[in-house]
Amino acid sequence: MADNPIPLEVRNIKKRFGDTEVLKGLSLQARKGDVITLIGASGSGKSTFLRCMNLLEQPDEGDLIVHGETVQFKQTRHGREPADWKQVVRMRAKLSMVFQSFNLWAHMTLLENVIEAPIHVLGKSKKEAIEHGHTLLERVGLTERADAYPAQMSGGQQQRGAIARALAMDPEVMLFDEPTSALDPELVGDVLKVMHGLADEGRTMVVVTHEMGFARDVSSQVIYLHQGLVEEAGPPQDVLVNPTSPRLKQFLAPKY
Amino acid sequence: MEWFNALLAGNRIFTPNTIGFYWEGLVTTTQLVFLSLLVGLVLALPLAILRGSKHKWIKLPIYAFTYVFRGTPLLIQLYIIYYGVVFFDGIQETFLWPMLREAFYPALIAFTLNTAAYTTEIFHGAIKSTARGEIEAARAYGMSPGLTMRRIILPSAFRRALPAYGNEVIFMLHASAIASVVTLMDLTGAARFVYARYYAPFEAFLFAAAVYLCLTFAILFFFRYLEKRLLAHLRPQSG
Amino acid sequence: MLDLHGYGPRLLEGAGVTIQLAVLSLILAIVLGLLTASAKMSRNWLLHKVATLYTTVIRGVPDLVLMMLLFFGGQMGLNVLTDMLYDRYGVDWYVNLNAFAAGVLTIGFIFGAYMGETFRGAFMAVDHGQIEAGKAYGMSPWLVFRRIRFPLMMRHALPGLSNNWMVLLKTTALVSVIGLTDMVRVAAEASRATHEPFTFLLPVAAIYLLIASVSEWLFARLQKRYNVGFGEH
Repeated sequence: MADNPIPLEVRNIKKRFGDTEVLKGLSLQARKGDVITLIGASGSGKSTFLRCMNLLEQPDEGDLIVHGETVQFKQTRHGREPADWKQVVRMRAKLSMVFQSFNLWAHMTLLENVIEAPIHVLGKSKKEAIEHGHTLLERVGLTERADAYPAQMSGGQQQRGAIARALAMDPEVMLFDEPTSALDPELVGDVLKVMHGLADEGRTMVVVTHEMGFARDVSSQVIYLHQGLVEEAGPPQDVLVNPTSPRLKQFLAPKY
Repeated sequence: MEWFNALLAGNRIFTPNTIGFYWEGLVTTTQLVFLSLLVGLVLALPLAILRGSKHKWIKLPIYAFTYVFRGTPLLIQLYIIYYGVVFFDGIQETFLWPMLREAFYPALIAFTLNTAAYTTEIFHGAIKSTARGEIEAARAYGMSPGLTMRRIILPSAFRRALPAYGNEVIFMLHASAIASVVTLMDLTGAARFVYARYYAPFEAFLFAAAVYLCLTFAILFFFRYLEKRLLAHLRPQSG
Repeated sequence: MLDLHGYGPRLLEGAGVTIQLAVLSLILAIVLGLLTASAKMSRNWLLHKVATLYTTVIRGVPDLVLMMLLFFGGQMGLNVLTDMLYDRYGVDWYVNLNAFAAGVLTIGFIFGAYMGETFRGAFMAVDHGQIEAGKAYGMSPWLVFRRIRFPLMMRHALPGLSNNWMVLLKTTALVSVIGLTDMVRVAAEASRATHEPFTFLLPVAAIYLLIASVSEWLFARLQKRYNVGFGEH
């Protein structure tokens, strides 16, 4: 195991906002090449769970192990916080997130967005980053839009650009937070196609999504969350095709 | 008066005498600010309407007036009027001269013109931002341009201008401290006098600062109240 | 040609003082403003209270009163300090508060409060998702600030900043009252001496207008630069 550590492992994550406990002890293990999809109704905690994985939300309890390295926490007046922010920064650089609302940096061109973190976080040379950036933009079909600003691009283009930005980090694991939910229906297909390709080449991915077709075709594991707990989990043919829990059956019913 | 004297006993600066100075200073400041705001407002109204005129020869001079008065320090404006008023031919023979020779009236004139310039721009901005649809609706019901201005544009523009005008009132209160530079005994003038007499800068100026702070809050709360009353229609209905 | 009765060079020098004073005060005000905005947004209760007190009091009192308080009060505080040094340690040291430094400190201190409000509003207007994206890609807090938060904030802050600068520029005229020889003081002196107020005061007014117009143009260009990527605004 030491030679080939698991890219991402979370154990027994709990999180509360005020009086409501939104995550009641969730675990997940993403081995190399796994595509794990998190599904569930809104309010089930799936996005919060994903955001705990790169500490955009601080879990109140539980462990987080990235590439064999356990994140250290300490208790402060404001609750539980990472003990060493340098460690967090290092760990986040290995996990790159794609957001529902793209969050491309509005004051930078698409190419500048893509090369920003590789240069300033990974310490790559500008030349190398630009070369790699162009390759990635070609890959997501945005070669001509390298010098466009986010505001000048469609939602689908922005999201594909955001995926290129995430790929530029050469991440251990890619985290997708409902990447197609903010898109017009006709633009969803292009983004899913790119994600499909990433799965095919063996990228490790954790995806929060409402796209059941994508979950069925691509996932190695599907996790159905209900009110902060895992209700059902397993390979897609079990979870999505032959669900056992009545809640999951009901959740899937209107779409199939 | 017993308690008042008891309160003042044991300190050498805030004697009934100096308190009297501050009081007179406060009265002068209030008169100066209130009068200049009042006259400035009366001047600004027609200027703001004419500032939006289509005729170059009407709007350009008004724009030049506001540009110059907003682009230069009030102190310079005050100096020009205070030192310059002597040079208007024959002014020393008119009945105005005894008034103008005092610092109060030059200061009043400078402040009035200054606030008129700022207020003109505030109202002009508010008039300009009237929703086009409201004006078209008025026209569609056969209102004349004058009637539209009086009944539709101005009432809504006034309300929209209120927050900015509130800031202008506070700005004027603070700017009025400059009057002390031309020997006027306003609130700041009183503080300077007390400072010079007792060489007590902290006591002298902190006391004046506290009074200004109270006046500022009073103005602030007054305009908040006005806004609440007059802008209620713009807030989403609750409950 | 305008006859300046030999005051020309001094007037020019005064204009130099005005511009230096304004620019240095602006820099100080921006630094203080950023600190104040950070303090106001901080989770630290004390920092928040201190910053709120600072912006509330400063914005509630006339500039001139604050200036005299800080200038005359500051000189007195220094005197008390040096007297004490002499009494206790026999150190004979007298400091005369430099009027220029006092002017910069005072104006910077006053406008720091206004800048603080401008920056706070601008920081709040920045889309939080873009900050999160920076964090999610392993940027350190400082890197997020420098590369993302600050440039995005500037776009929102520029109109307020420009406005504050215009007011600050005019406020520099007040330093003539506490004894600094800026162009207003030279002009006022010359007016009294020659009984020709217009000869001196009108050109000074024109210089203020000129600086204001040039700054307006510069700010418009800056705004254009920071608006890059936000469509045609």
